[in-house]
Amino acid sequence: MNMHYRWSWVMAFPLLFMTVDGRAEIDWSNPLGKLDLKLPDNVQIHGFASQAYILTNNNNFFGYSKNMGSLDFTEIGLNGSWRPRPNLQTSMQVVYRRAGLTDDSYARIDFGFLDYSFLSDAEHLVGVRLGRVVNPYGLYNDTRDMPFTRPSIFLPQSIYFDINRNTALSGDGIQLYGEHRTDYGDFLLQFNGMESRANDPAWKPVLFARSVEGQLSWVGRLMYEWQGGRVRLGVTSADLNVGFQPRQVDYKAKSNLSFAPVLFSFQYNAEDWSLTSEYAIRYSEVDSLGQKVNFAGESYYVQGTYRFTTELEAFLRYDVYYGDRNDRNGKKLQASGLGSAQEAFAKDIAVGLRWDLTQSIMLRTEYHYVDGAGWLYVGENKDGLSKYWNMFAASISFRF
Amino acid sequence: MSGPGSVAIPHERRLIALRSLSPLFFVLALLICGPTPAFGVEVVANRSVPDVVLKRSTAWAVFSMRLRTWSDGSPTTVFVLGDGNPIHSEFSKTILDTFPYQLRRAWDRLVFSGTGQAPLEVGSITEMRDRIRSTPGSIGYLPPALVDKDMRTVKVE
Repeated sequence: MNMHYRWSWVMAFPLLFMTVDGRAEIDWSNPLGKLDLKLPDNVQIHGFASQAYILTNNNNFFGYSKNMGSLDFTEIGLNGSWRPRPNLQTSMQVVYRRAGLTDDSYARIDFGFLDYSFLSDAEHLVGVRLGRVVNPYGLYNDTRDMPFTRPSIFLPQSIYFDINRNTALSGDGIQLYGEHRTDYGDFLLQFNGMESRANDPAWKPVLFARSVEGQLSWVGRLMYEWQGGRVRLGVTSADLNVGFQPRQVDYKAKSNLSFAPVLFSFQYNAEDWSLTSEYAIRYSEVDSLGQKVNFAGESYYVQGTYRFTTELEAFLRYDVYYGDRNDRNGKKLQASGLGSAQEAFAKDIAVGLRWDLTQSIMLRTEYHYVDGAGWLYVGENKDGLSKYWNMFAASISFRF
Repeated sequence: MSGPGSVAIPHERRLIALRSLSPLFFVLALLICGPTPAFGVEVVANRSVPDVVLKRSTAWAVFSMRLRTWSDGSPTTVFVLGDGNPIHSEFSKTILDTFPYQLRRAWDRLVFSGTGQAPLEVGSITEMRDRIRSTPGSIGYLPPALVDKDMRTVKVE
C-alpha cells in the first residue's frame, strides 16, 4: 500500500497553497452548476464522477453483470495543478474506482509529479517530469481515467486491457519530453523510465503467483499531429516488467513477465466524423520455474464516430484480440490445459451513443456482441468462460 | 419633419417597406449562411502582449495551451467562451482551422494527464473584453464591434 502514497509529497505544495489562499465561495442556489472557487489563475481544480450500469449474458464483466446487471463500475476523480511559473507545474490526480473484482476499489494516486521545461519557445518544448508519471501509450491511455475523453464507456479492450489498468496507466520514475512545432505539423516525443505499479488484483491469478511487484520498465511514444489534430499518427513502444513469486513454495528464484508491445495509432478528425484505428503486436516473455516462454499477441480496432450535432454522437467499432498470433483459434491453449480455447481471442462489435446534455453532464449507452473471452477476468467467471456473449451498458458522467 | 396630416416622403416609405420585409431577410440570410451565421471574430490581446502577428501554428500552440510564454518570456493567459458558444465555434473554425471539440480534447489531454492546464472560461463577450483589458499577457477573441484601443488586435496568418 505504501506505493500509493510514495509520491504524495509532490502534491503537498498546491494543497498548502490553497489552504492559505483559497476562499471557496459556493453559489448554493446552483451548487452543482458552477463551483465558483476563488483560486488564483495558476491553480486549477477539476474533477469527474461516473456511474455505469452493465448487463451481460454468458460471461461477467466488471462485477456480476449477468441476469439483473451490475452497478459495479464507478469512477470518481479529483485533479489539481499549480503552475507558479510558465515552465514549472505540479499536478496530481486521485481516483476512486470500482470495477467488479478487477479493481480493489480504493482511492489511489493515478499520477502526481513535478514538471519542469528547460526550453520553451514558439517551435520547441523540452522538459522533464518526476514522480508518478503517466505512460505515453497510444491515443487513449494518458487520460483513460476520465470518462469524457474515452470514445465509449469502455475503451477498446484489445489494446487498453482494463484488468491491469493501474500498471498500464502510470509508473514511479521520470519522463523526458520534447515537442517540435512546424508549419507542416507538430511532433511530440515522450520517454518514461520507471518502476511499474503492478498492483492490479488480476496479476496474481493470471501469473499463478503468490506475490507480485513492480520492476524497472520503460515506455516511449512519438506522435505527429497535423492541423490542430485533424490527423494524428503515433508509434509507441514499451517494455513493462512485472516480477512475481510463483505459487510453488519450493521455488525461490524470482520470476518475471516482460510485456513489450509495439503500437501504431491513426486518427482523422473531420467536423462531423472521426476515424480511428490502432494496431498492436505484443511480445511477451514469461521467465519462471526455470524456463522461458515467448509468445506474440496481436490486437487492432477500427472505430468510426459520427457527430449528428455538437451534443449527440454515435460510434461503431470492431475490436479484435489474439493472445498468441500462432494460436488464433485457441486450440493449443485448450490442449495445454491452461485455459479454454475461447480465452485465446475476442472479436467485439460495438455500437453506441453519446449525448452531452450540457458541457458537464454526459449520458452514454452501448451494445457489444463479442465472440471470444480473451480479455475477460477469469476471477469473475469461475464457472468458466463462454465463447459468445452480449453486453449492454449505460452511464451517466459529470465533470467540472 | 412629419407633422400631423403630412405624407411620408419617398425615402421614408422605402425604409418602412424594408422594415416590414426584414423578418424575411433574416430567414433568407439564415438559409444562405447555413446553421452557423457568421458574426466575424478577431483575436485580441492585452496591451502588454509583445506579439501582434502569430503564425497559425503558433496561435494553435497558444490556444491549445501548449505554448505558455510570449516571445519575450512573459506568461500567457488564455480566455475562451464555452464550447457551445457560436463565437467560440467561429473562432475555432476560421482562425485556428479546427473545431470546438478538438480544442476541448486538446485541453482534456493536458489537464487529465497532468501535463498542462485548461484555458480560463468566461461567461460572455463583455466579460472577455473586460478581462483582456485588465489581465497582463492575456489573449482571447471578440466580435469586431467590441474591439477598441484598450486592447491590441493580433493578426493570425
